[in-house]
Amino acid sequence: MFSSHCQCVIVELSDMAVTRLPHAALSLKQFLQRQKILGIYRNMLRTIRQVPDEGDRKYLRDWARDEFKRNKNATDQDAIRMMVTQANNHLEELQKSLALARS
Amino acid sequence: MAARVLQHCVRSLARPSLRLTSGNLAVRAAAVPAAAIHRPLSFAADSRRTRWLGQSQIPSVGVLCRQYGDLPPLTIESIKDRVMYVLKLYDKINPEKLQTTSHFMKDLGLDSLDQVEIIMAMEDEFGFEIPDAEAEKLMSPDEIVQYIADKKDVYE
Repeated sequence: MFSSHCQCVIVELSDMAVTRLPHAALSLKQFLQRQKILGIYRNMLRTIRQVPDEGDRKYLRDWARDEFKRNKNATDQDAIRMMVTQANNHLEELQKSLALARS
Repeated sequence: MAARVLQHCVRSLARPSLRLTSGNLAVRAAAVPAAAIHRPLSFAADSRRTRWLGQSQIPSVGVLCRQYGDLPPLTIESIKDRVMYVLKLYDKINPEKLQTTSHFMKDLGLDSLDQVEIIMAMEDEFGFEIPDAEAEKLMSPDEIVQYIADKKDVYE
């Protein structure tokens, strides 16, 4: 009984992060988190555009896409926050490498 | 010495005007200063006219007007064609099911990450940045065409 209750909660919470459902199904915090994550994805794609080699660019785009899609259905708030921090770190690293490569 | 320099200047001025105004002898003669020294020059210029008119007109036109380069002007039709072309190339979209009014999420079954990728592809295609706030609202090819026409001042 306890496990079925858990499952119900998990099913409800699975409308999180990246989703197809209308925005009304998300709470404000989830909505903002979703927007933040999409913003990170967009910044990542914009930074990847500046990579000089076309093969590298494709590899990085596929990598970013896989990473975000793999964790699309994450439900645990802590895990989500950790992944967001990781994504930001990756983004910063990429931007720094590009700046170094350009100089 | 000064007279020779002046002759040379008038000759080089007379050359383009000969090519552009293919008529009026009187105008040409009037354009040349009426000093005695330059009268034989105008005869010489006329005798060269037939030879010069045979040459191409492009160098003289280049001297007198400027030319700029730009992309061909956008029309709503051309924007729509380019948007649909880019969408057909996207691997997650089934080209048969794609219509201009199909909603990315409801009809084509894409998610918000795919929508971000699509908008980035549009940015690449049209060469200008679309800010986040407006990008997330564009949910069908029609809306994208409207937005681009808005931003690029394309009216019909």
